Amino acid sequence: MGDNKSDVLQGTLDLMVLKTLEAMSPLHGYGIARRIEQVSSNSLVLNQGTIYPALLRLEQRGWIKSEWGTSETNRRARFYSLSRIGRKKITEETENWERIAATMARFLAPSN
Amino acid sequence: MDFLRTLLNRIAELFAHAHHDRNLDDDIAAHLDLLIRDHMANGMSEADARTAALRDFGGITQTRETYRTQRGFPRLEQFARDLRYAARQLRRSPGFTLTAVLTLALGLGANIAVFSLLNCILLRPLTVPNSDELAVITIVQNNDEHGPNNAFSAPFLRSLEKHHDGFASIAGYSTRPFQVRDQGSNVRVPGAMVSGQFFGMLETPPSLGRWLTPRDDREGQANLAVISDSYWKTRFHRDAAVIGQTLTIANQPFTIVGVMPSSFTGADPTYRPEIYVPAWAEPIIEAPYNAMAEGYHSWWLRMLGRRAPGVSLEQANAALGALSDGILDESIPDTKWIKNARSHHFHFVGEPGSRGYSYIRETFRKPLVVVFVLCSAMLLLACINLASLLMARAAARERELATRLAMGASRMRLIQQLLVESLLIALLGTAAGLIAAPLVSRSLATILIGNAGDYIMLDTSLDLRVLAFVALVAVLSTLLVGLVPALRATSKSLNEQIKSGSLSVHARQHRLLPRLLMSTQVALALILVTGAGLLATSLKRLHGIDVGFQPAGLVNVRLEVDKQSRDGEALAAWYRQYLDELARLPGIKALAYVSFPPMSGSVWTEDMHTTVSRGDQQIYMNSISTGYFNTLMIPILAGRDFQWNDGPSSGLKIILSDGAAQKLFPGQNAIGQSITQTDGTEGKKVFQVVGIVGGIHYVDLREKALLEAYVPMTQNTDHKPSYVAVARIDGSAAPLATAARQLASRMAPEIPAPVLTQMMANIEGTIASERIMAMLAIFFAICALLVTAIGLYGTLAYSTARRTSEIGIRMALGAKRAQVVRLVFRENASIAIYGSLAGLMASWCAARTLASLLYSTSARDPWVLLASVFVLGLIASAASLVPSIRAARIDPSTALRSE
Repeated sequence: MGDNKSDVLQGTLDLMVLKTLEAMSPLHGYGIARRIEQVSSNSLVLNQGTIYPALLRLEQRGWIKSEWGTSETNRRARFYSLSRIGRKKITEETENWERIAATMARFLAPSN
Repeated sequence: MDFLRTLLNRIAELFAHAHHDRNLDDDIAAHLDLLIRDHMANGMSEADARTAALRDFGGITQTRETYRTQRGFPRLEQFARDLRYAARQLRRSPGFTLTAVLTLALGLGANIAVFSLLNCILLRPLTVPNSDELAVITIVQNNDEHGPNNAFSAPFLRSLEKHHDGFASIAGYSTRPFQVRDQGSNVRVPGAMVSGQFFGMLETPPSLGRWLTPRDDREGQANLAVISDSYWKTRFHRDAAVIGQTLTIANQPFTIVGVMPSSFTGADPTYRPEIYVPAWAEPIIEAPYNAMAEGYHSWWLRMLGRRAPGVSLEQANAALGALSDGILDESIPDTKWIKNARSHHFHFVGEPGSRGYSYIRETFRKPLVVVFVLCSAMLLLACINLASLLMARAAARERELATRLAMGASRMRLIQQLLVESLLIALLGTAAGLIAAPLVSRSLATILIGNAGDYIMLDTSLDLRVLAFVALVAVLSTLLVGLVPALRATSKSLNEQIKSGSLSVHARQHRLLPRLLMSTQVALALILVTGAGLLATSLKRLHGIDVGFQPAGLVNVRLEVDKQSRDGEALAAWYRQYLDELARLPGIKALAYVSFPPMSGSVWTEDMHTTVSRGDQQIYMNSISTGYFNTLMIPILAGRDFQWNDGPSSGLKIILSDGAAQKLFPGQNAIGQSITQTDGTEGKKVFQVVGIVGGIHYVDLREKALLEAYVPMTQNTDHKPSYVAVARIDGSAAPLATAARQLASRMAPEIPAPVLTQMMANIEGTIASERIMAMLAIFFAICALLVTAIGLYGTLAYSTARRTSEIGIRMALGAKRAQVVRLVFRENASIAIYGSLAGLMASWCAARTLASLLYSTSARDPWVLLASVFVLGLIASAASLVPSIRAARIDPSTALRSE
């Protein structure tokens, strides 16, 4: 693992999953994991297993829903898509994250 | 919102375990498959691709674990698992489980039952809004022997109604059975006479109509009544048209204006009036008596107040105290009386009154607390016993526990698991105890009430306070039972010991804790046995008291003639005729009238003096007919009995008990001499002594030689006096009961059916609380002995089994069987000795609290203490017998081979 890769920050994974599903759905767990890695241009270390508890968490909140389908290798797998609540929440969560990022950016900016 | 949805989802998923695990497994399989495919597409071999896929995925087990944690309630699931495990463990040893559950059920059941009783008499607040604002008003003087006085006379009530600074309202009431007309005759119905602000003070709205207001409580107002929910139900079948109907109370019509809800019991939680009338109607209700008119001579009211909003009890009392002087002047027309009261700092004080006022509270407080302490000690003993049994069991499982510790189970986890086991036992015990408790508390209440009074109600039903107590006790006993064994079973030293493989090396140190617990148990058992012994001895001595007459076979027939029309000579003739008719019944050996049968709860006293009596003597009076001494078998020592012809014109006659004769005429012959009644309300009365009889117990069994005197009923000038016919009968009282009622309803249909009581029951009633204390104490003591015996036997049997190889070696080295027996025996002997010593010391220290409850029995009675120690020694020996014999039978060669 190279030095320029970073661990996924707690809580950011949820938003990444939501954004992924907003862009393309339905998608199975592997698809979501691959997509996140691709978007981050492989600069994230993602233990792909961690995606499943995150998916469960989002489903329990009612932000995403799942249905059974068949994967490209002919296996039974769940395909996830955004729910109505999830769509609304994306805006909220995005603003939230941008605020945090902006704050962090101010902290990290060279002090004058 | 999110939280709620998540919670609901999690709960739903609790019920779909296996299903969800499979779904995740499917997802993971599909995921890995896709990863492998991609890696292979990049040119890896299948084996490499699989390895890479697993690496990319990260730990599968970890994912599953996080997923599960996220999914349901892991702690709850773990708890459920522990519960299932504990249930399995308990099922595997049903003997132990049954003993444990029964022991706890007994201890907890007794505690719950006694606490429900304690709760209903001592703790439960009145079911009225803001009951914490209520205060019981008392009169305090600095010469009170028995604490504050709760009795008030009418002038005080009327004065306090007008001036009650600090209190929003203040009210008086008096409870007693009313005579209510029902289908041609009068029946007794519990009632209350209440002052104007009574209902307003208690703030409970009526369920129908209206309550009584200050305007209704004025002389000359219409006769109004409010009835209870239960009376509305039984008498009026919940007819809404009850408002405006009339009830005939004491031969006068009262119009019903309201119905109170069923939760309302007035101001006394132990008495439930069915009818409330205004206080001014007292002369009607009590006719021919009139406590209202007697003013400050008659103290018949209880008073309560409600503090004004935002006023503390201290502030309210300061205001009330400042009023006291003025009220004294306003209500009492007697300057001598006022002066006397002032010299003793007469003032009113409000005491916290959220629980209302009940006179039986003071009577039963001490016995109840004693019983509660005894049964708590029993529960503690049961818990300690279970703890030592569990410890023995845990020791048998120590290899399993040590193995699990070694394999990385955390100590917390194991303790938790062991505690769940004791929790399960406690839960089962609590459930069993809860089922039995209401039954027990109800029967306890019945015995306790005895003849404490008519219409006393003890509502021992379970309420929130009792349930909270139950939960607390269950949790406490779980911890008591389980914590020590769990801590010890998982302790590191034990682990080390197993590692070293020598179980008996540290045996001595290892046995210290169980021995300490067992000694505590013996000490507790000794305290319980001593307490039971003392209470039983005291009760036996009470039973052995010579009451001065023969109570067995005596029946009291209480007649109430105050509300019928006859009076004077007509009534006297009626009384004689009634007695003559009763005398014709078969089985009646003797009959007479008396106004207050001994130990019936009522007394009549007068101050009397003679020229040689050195001032006034308080004499316990009774009005009787001829034949009374013969009926009760009181010896006539000198002079004669009364005759029917000792009429009003023949000069006032009196018969003295020998004690009274000696006190009034020291060293003289009393017959023929005169006695003067000091403060007769109808002028000076002078009596001539015609006879001297043996003294009796008039008030209760504990009394010490009172001075008694008897006057003939034929010279009674009261209006419509009520008498009790006392009959000495052969065999059952049932025929007499029927005949007495039929006769009364034929000869005077308007009087209530006569109430029959057995004299023996009256006497038993006066010592009801002593009896119940002794009974329960003996019961607890027997349980304690049983539990201790089981505990001593169990732990000894177990520790002996563990020492099998040691004993084998000793025997191989030449120890005699007798020595082995002594070795094993010694173990319980030392426990018994140390425990007994501790118990004796505790009993010695606790003696003072028990002393006031004992009758002519010292709380440090050496015989009782000795006997208790002896009984415990016997129990300990019996418990040691089987294990020591078993030890003596150990065959050295087998014992050594087994190790």
